[in-house]
Amino acid sequence: MEFEEYVSARGQELVRLGFTVSGDYQRAEDLAQIALMQAFRSWRKVRTAHDPHHYVRRILVNEYLSMTRRRSFSEAPTADLEPRRTVPDHATHVVNSDDLWRALATLSARERVVLVLRYYQDLDDQTIADVLGIKPSSVRATASRALASLRKARDSTRDSNRVDERLS
Amino acid sequence: MSNTDLEDDLRGTFERAAASVPEADGLTERATVGARRAQRRTWIISGAAAAAVAAIAVAGFGLAGSQDKPTQPPVATGEATAAVGATPQVLSGQAVAGKWRAVQMVGTRALREARPEDPVLVFKPDGTWTGSDGCNGLQGTYTIGQRGAFTATVGPQHLVGCENVPHTGVLHAAKRIAVSGDTLQLFGADGRQLASYARAR
Repeated sequence: MEFEEYVSARGQELVRLGFTVSGDYQRAEDLAQIALMQAFRSWRKVRTAHDPHHYVRRILVNEYLSMTRRRSFSEAPTADLEPRRTVPDHATHVVNSDDLWRALATLSARERVVLVLRYYQDLDDQTIADVLGIKPSSVRATASRALASLRKARDSTRDSNRVDERLS
Repeated sequence: MSNTDLEDDLRGTFERAAASVPEADGLTERATVGARRAQRRTWIISGAAAAAVAAIAVAGFGLAGSQDKPTQPPVATGEATAAVGATPQVLSGQAVAGKWRAVQMVGTRALREARPEDPVLVFKPDGTWTGSDGCNGLQGTYTIGQRGAFTATVGPQHLVGCENVPHTGVLHAAKRIAVSGDTLQLFGADGRQLASYARAR
């Protein structure tokens, strides 16, 4: 497979993956571009890999995690999208209105990445462990912690909504 | 709420978020142009590093030659060896075989910076070497003569840009090699140390 073929087939998927992990459309494009640049540099090696997309996806995810560790990474992933700057279509309000999407922004970068790989990319824990360079048991522990945080955040949102309803 | 409900909701949330991402334009072009620019930068950086190493080696040789001393290369006199403290010894491919990590290199300061690949040199007993400058795989051949005389050739390589460790410049310029315990040193024609490596485990 040529590089151009790969990008036209899977490039947009990479931007989507970048968006689900970072919550920021601009950053998602940057992540996809960085991952593709790195893959392009060693394309001869990538194209012969068992699953080239797995290879590029690993670059993207780890680039995102590295990015969040840098001092310059001061912006937290945005929970609320800015329609004009980021996603200029009707789906924005759907995402915006999703409590769960907002709750995801409170997780650590690694927790969020694990959930994205598990529930969006449908990867098993062994593959996620391979992508992140950690043990499968760490993946399970991270996912479990992240789910507990989300459940807690969601319950608390629902409780406050009930109080609001009673008061109104 | 059960875990399954939450997991289903998560799937839905991610799907909706992903579906809301507009089509990105020109990804191929941006990736290839960016990578090529980085390659050009590497050409310049690698060229400058190699030139710096060569210039230092040549300058050193010139200084040594301008003194009132025998005009033959210091390599042959043993004087250069004394100047750098390397113990003359009979070296072989077996003695230098293994993985080495640069700890000091002329003109290069950022040896410990994080790089995509481990910037090591691996000498094999069969007269070949491999390694990485931190971003690109490197390879070539080498010979070790009597009293540590050293020559190396560098094979084709990618030129991805980063804080490349200029192993190739050092190997090109190196005329002598010395190994003492877990330390490997490469010296220029004037006997000055170009680089020092520690054995990597």
